[in-house]
Amino acid sequence: MKRFALSVLLFWFVAVMLGRLYGLQPNVIDLDNILAKPGVHYWLGADDLGRDILARVLKGVEVSIWVSVIVTLVTMTLGVTVGLLAGFLGGAADKVLMQVTDIFLAFPGVLLAIAFAAVLGAGLGNLILALCLTGWVSYARLARAQTMSIRHRQHVVAAESLGASIPRILGRHILPLLASVLIVEATYSLASVMVAEATLSFLGLGIQAPEASWGAMLRDGVRYMLVAPHYVLVVGLSMMSLVLAINLGGDYLRDKLDVRTER
Amino acid sequence: MLSRLLHAAIVIFGVLLLTFLLVHAVPGDPVDVMLGDSATMADRDQLRADLGLDQPILTQFWQYLHKLSRADFGQSIHTHQPIAELIVARYPATLKLAICALLIGLAIGIPLGIYGALHNGKWQDMLVTLISVRFSAMPAFWLGPLLMLLFAVWLGWLPVSGMEGQSSIILPALTLGFGLSAILTRMTRTSMLEVLNEDFIRTARAKGLSEREVITRHALRAALLPIITIVGLQMGSLLAGTVITETIFSWEGVGRLLVESIEKRDYPVTQACVLAIALSYVLVNAATDIAYRLADPRTKGA
Repeated sequence: MKRFALSVLLFWFVAVMLGRLYGLQPNVIDLDNILAKPGVHYWLGADDLGRDILARVLKGVEVSIWVSVIVTLVTMTLGVTVGLLAGFLGGAADKVLMQVTDIFLAFPGVLLAIAFAAVLGAGLGNLILALCLTGWVSYARLARAQTMSIRHRQHVVAAESLGASIPRILGRHILPLLASVLIVEATYSLASVMVAEATLSFLGLGIQAPEASWGAMLRDGVRYMLVAPHYVLVVGLSMMSLVLAINLGGDYLRDKLDVRTER
Repeated sequence: MLSRLLHAAIVIFGVLLLTFLLVHAVPGDPVDVMLGDSATMADRDQLRADLGLDQPILTQFWQYLHKLSRADFGQSIHTHQPIAELIVARYPATLKLAICALLIGLAIGIPLGIYGALHNGKWQDMLVTLISVRFSAMPAFWLGPLLMLLFAVWLGWLPVSGMEGQSSIILPALTLGFGLSAILTRMTRTSMLEVLNEDFIRTARAKGLSEREVITRHALRAALLPIITIVGLQMGSLLAGTVITETIFSWEGVGRLLVESIEKRDYPVTQACVLAIALSYVLVNAATDIAYRLADPRTKGA
């Protein structure tokens, strides 16, 4: 499983690099080859404007990875800060925070992100903003629960009684103990942000034409499924291979770092 | 129980506040976004007054709650139909789809999970786990087209999309149900494994019951309790999943209405759809919580 995950990730890395070296053009329109089948010239066929699907898939990977890395970093920083404070301080601050997260969690799945993106308007920046606005909640819950279980350990109490400041206690004495849980969670969240980004782009709320994105390509692929089934298959398989590899990587890290979370 | 109800009430209030803020507190002028550049000044003022955007924000929120209490969701900017009517017309289709998907999820997930647990550690178990991990990693916008391609385009057994005929529900329900079955499989397996190690299972076996009776009458009953909770929680992702699934299969439900309203920038309709889906989820969760407490005497007073 570990080998499979690593080879898929390596495959995509090499493919993207080769695509860049070779100078593949994802946005060049070729009206003579609309929805062309895979062949010598277009290895994976061409889309509804005759653009090279291979080039667009490779461009889509890059966009997808950037978005998920940015969103994961921002939501993790924000959520962990909030969660650490709530778990450490307890009391009213904690109660309020839990109510707020409960309200966010009352919107199932990506519904809230869809709503935010719809109101903010389509575009890459707004897509990232919408995913960040809704993504911090799970980190806050996780960090709070972990902090509460660590809060009364002797080394924390000792630091407290020696007069260490709250930022120091949180940063030096509690955060390092959360590291392995957070690394595992962040790996899974890379995959789930990737899916969420594709969901929003599928609905036309994400990255706008002519830029390539997996969600938008899947939507076009469904539209032209009757005449060019290779389009949707190529994009879908590419995306699932990457998401699966990242999730398997998460499983590996979870076992390796001995993290027990209910997922 | 009282504190649970209070909690649910606070969450519902928060949901109302957040959906309200979606339209009324976004940066920029929502009227500009909704009407586009070609609208006249009079059109703008009219819409602004209709939506109450010329009032202070607290007054707006109060009016919003007041209208909602009379089931008045306002009207669509484009068709001027009352939104409550739109939602009532579309809701049954979504509900039907969600229930069919739930039944499919249960029909696949529970037997598969039991099978996995009974073959714990053997290759059958590995296979079950592998399948359930694979399926849960398949979002609706990928599984849907895949099923469509296989059963509608290549085999021609089922209609590609739309709502005509009884068989048109099969593909969208399978798309949603497969994802659910993956999670149910894993939960059933874990829950069964725990129960199978209990003393009362050993007792049941020791008193000479057949393996079938041990599983169905003793183990499954005890293992089902956590599954109820999961089903309740998963109703949420099911409802969210309908947004994508309905879009793919042109299923005329609330999810499709939501996407259409986004495309037309019909904000009041978007707002109402989000609210309808979120409130359904909150209510299902609260009902699950209560059902669980009633079913398990150990949680009384907790």
